[in-house]
Amino acid sequence: MTTMRDLEKKLRKLDYHQARLYLFCNFISLMLITAYSIMMLSPTVQEVFPEGGDSRKQMQAIFVLAVVGCTAFTIYATALFFRKKSRQVGILMALGISKGKLAPILYREILFLSFLSSGFGILAGIPLVVLLWNSFRLFLADSEQMQLNMRIANLGIPLAFLAMVVGLACVTANRYLARTDILDTIKEEHKNEPVKELGRWCGPAGIIVLLAGAVGGYAAPFVSMRLFRIYASGWLNILYAPVFIGLYMILLHTVVYGWRFRPGRSGYEKRKGGSGRKSSSSLKSNLISYSMMKFQGKQTVNNMLVSTVLIAGACFAIFYLPMLTTSMTDGLKDRPYDYLYHYRADQSGLSKKEVEGLASEYGLSLKDWHEAEYVSLGMDGFTDVGGGQEGDKIIEEYWEIVAEGKFFSESSLKELTGTEVTVEPGTYLGIVDDGEENTFAMRTDCKIFTNMSTRKTIQTSFAGWAHYNMLVDSGKGYYVLNDADYAEIAEGAAGEWRGVMHVFNVDGEDDYQFADRLLRSFVASVDESCNLASFYDRVYKIALNERGKEYWGDDTAASLAAKIDLSRINDSDFRLWWEYMPKSVMLEKTDFMRTFSVFLMMFLFIFLICITAACVIGYTRCQTIALNNRYVFDDLKKLGAPPVFLKKEIRRQCCTVIRTPSVIGIIGMSGLYTMILYANDGKLSMTEVKGLGICGLVILGIAALLYAVYYGTVKSLVRELVETP
Amino acid sequence: MLTVKNLYKSYETAKTRYPVLKGISFHVKKGEFTAVMGASGSGKSTLLNCISCYIPYDKGEILLGEQNLSGLDQEGLAAVRNGKLGFVFQDFMLLDGLSVKENILIPRIIREKADKEAEEYAERLMELFGISHIKDKYPADISGGERQRAAVARSLINDPLIILADEPTGNLDSKSSRIVIEAFEKAKSEMNSTILMVTHDSFSASFCDRVILLKDGVIYKELKRTGGQSSFQGYLLDTLKEMSNAE
Repeated sequence: MTTMRDLEKKLRKLDYHQARLYLFCNFISLMLITAYSIMMLSPTVQEVFPEGGDSRKQMQAIFVLAVVGCTAFTIYATALFFRKKSRQVGILMALGISKGKLAPILYREILFLSFLSSGFGILAGIPLVVLLWNSFRLFLADSEQMQLNMRIANLGIPLAFLAMVVGLACVTANRYLARTDILDTIKEEHKNEPVKELGRWCGPAGIIVLLAGAVGGYAAPFVSMRLFRIYASGWLNILYAPVFIGLYMILLHTVVYGWRFRPGRSGYEKRKGGSGRKSSSSLKSNLISYSMMKFQGKQTVNNMLVSTVLIAGACFAIFYLPMLTTSMTDGLKDRPYDYLYHYRADQSGLSKKEVEGLASEYGLSLKDWHEAEYVSLGMDGFTDVGGGQEGDKIIEEYWEIVAEGKFFSESSLKELTGTEVTVEPGTYLGIVDDGEENTFAMRTDCKIFTNMSTRKTIQTSFAGWAHYNMLVDSGKGYYVLNDADYAEIAEGAAGEWRGVMHVFNVDGEDDYQFADRLLRSFVASVDESCNLASFYDRVYKIALNERGKEYWGDDTAASLAAKIDLSRINDSDFRLWWEYMPKSVMLEKTDFMRTFSVFLMMFLFIFLICITAACVIGYTRCQTIALNNRYVFDDLKKLGAPPVFLKKEIRRQCCTVIRTPSVIGIIGMSGLYTMILYANDGKLSMTEVKGLGICGLVILGIAALLYAVYYGTVKSLVRELVETP
Repeated sequence: MLTVKNLYKSYETAKTRYPVLKGISFHVKKGEFTAVMGASGSGKSTLLNCISCYIPYDKGEILLGEQNLSGLDQEGLAAVRNGKLGFVFQDFMLLDGLSVKENILIPRIIREKADKEAEEYAERLMELFGISHIKDKYPADISGGERQRAAVARSLINDPLIILADEPTGNLDSKSSRIVIEAFEKAKSEMNSTILMVTHDSFSASFCDRVILLKDGVIYKELKRTGGQSSFQGYLLDTLKEMSNAE
């Protein structure tokens, strides 16, 4: 006897064809989310992206974005699946199957498809991440740090997403059953969500709202700190909300009116006395495509909004690569010395003789050897004693010692660099690069310097800048004192507060092996007390301890970031943050990819996730619009519309759905990125301009990819709606 | 067999109420082949949808045999659609993934009685309508006329009280239309089936025993066939002309 189950099995076979898009969307979303979460939660990435750091927040924010994107296209794929099934369901209902009997059939099918596609998606995510990780290691960069450690716990997020997919599928099935009407399903008429009564002010107002949100959100932390003297709370990010509202309004306007077509001002409005900027032929040629879009307005705009944000996220992630590369290459350019290293005077360090000995092992000799002494002093200034956490009041107090600075005398700087500077007695200069790009990190308001061993002080004032690219320090900063002042204040400083710096060139072609060996030998020449990050401030620690407070860098958890493991010299933490990290053009150039490998890989992966999700959403949305308007195309065919006209209509639909988010996402993120770079120091350096130029080329690549998606979508819809009889 | 008493149905929009059926009453006897005709908007499709239990009606009664359709819940209506009604649609409504024979068996499968006897019955119906040779073919592989004959066979598989046909020849050429009408005639003559057909086509309607003409939601006239098909068609066309000219 043929049973309902047999019928169900037969129909399911047929449904596999209809469910292709649903299976594809689920598979893709689970695969991407699995791969992303495995990568994001791997101990390697967790170690490299410091807890609470901006890069980790960005990584997590983009992950949330990707999840939202994947959720969006999964929901639409589910709705699309039921829409494709509507005829089948309608026939069965017309022939007398009750909703009660139909429900288990639909649930069984959707659950089967959901588990099948999601399960395979999760399974595919694991080899995908292994493949990406190892391809990266093979072709781009490898390091001891780049070990992919997978744990079962990493699958928690994809499994939660799977549960959500299944839940959403059941909810959609339930809604479909509750709302479904035999006549609607038989005749394949669908309830649209038309946009009603949209004023023409919507688009321009959207632009204003968007800009207001961008400026408001960006300025809020400054206003909070400067005006209200409160550390900006995370809640202030809510001020960015108008960006999304404005974006929504712009997209709504795009879908309903477009930016060139003005239906409200043509035709009948002309008769009513309106100015009518476009001819009626424009109205005729656009009427059908805009009407189709308008009747799917809400869903389309929601999709386009998610797509826009994903494309912006993809741009943000991929821009990291060219910006980092240009900053590295420009940073190495025009260095007067191949090598610079420094160490505390209480350490043995490496002498000239030892370095020469090492060099000779690689057939190298040294030239231009210079060395000079510096002293680390306590600098005075204001510090916040209000807690320093989000939402805390900023309470500034003047302390006589508050930060560490490294000081050369006029003559030691000349000895080291050949640069002659004159410093008036009782003043000091800050050393910055030629472009003065790092001035924000320097202290320019000091009045007193303190010898940390003898506690002797001298009065001083800031007198301006000295320039030397190699002495730019991301942590404490280098300064110059008058010779007499230096002699007075440095007297009696213990070895731990004195430093020795060496610079030299290699005679002939430099050798990576030598550079690497020099680094290892140098690390071996210092003891564990030198395991500090460049942002660990010994002076501030003493100042706090003297007031009975603990320094954050000594706190067990935080000290993990502030202390550097001297045995892991290939780790990015070591290379980026070690206080005494030598500078070597050869080493930095050769190991650049390895040093930044985890960052590069993560941002590359984020790009892949975001752009894939945006492409799938664009494709799915176009399919939905076409499917919902299939009867319009059928009617147009019956009315004698030639294929050329139908193809043009399809292109218009796809163009709006794919092009608009692409243009807004790309331009928006480029603008935001430029604004961030400018706001860092109030200017755009040549390096940044160069980096932005390369980002422009990357944008062309992204645009080409999105065009390919548009082209493929149009082709598939033409096949479905025009070429199929 | 089917009794419609004083049936009212209207559609409502946010601002307006449109009455479509304004007190329709008629009776279809067992074994009668009846057509409902009328201009667009006359209410014939709405009438059929009410009888088919697809849409609720405002007032009046529909009796299928002894059973009154008003007051039935969704499950009850589904049971009526499956057990007491047979359907033939304009665009056939066959499921693409199933063979002709399987399509014919669907109402029995829904009823959970697709046993050997049902299969034999399906075979007999296919033979009756001349589609045995395509029983294993899929809808996409057969002609429109064959699809509609399969649909007629499907409508009969549960021995319904009445077959409701909605423009069954609307998508067919004249030759195929004739074959489908012959299928209905066979169902009537050999199985004593009762058929209610909504149609625009005077040729198809001229094969019926009776034609109910609807105009603006009320029955304009009922015509009984007394003579041959062609003379009845002539009479029908004249009356339709008269109806369209009437105020």
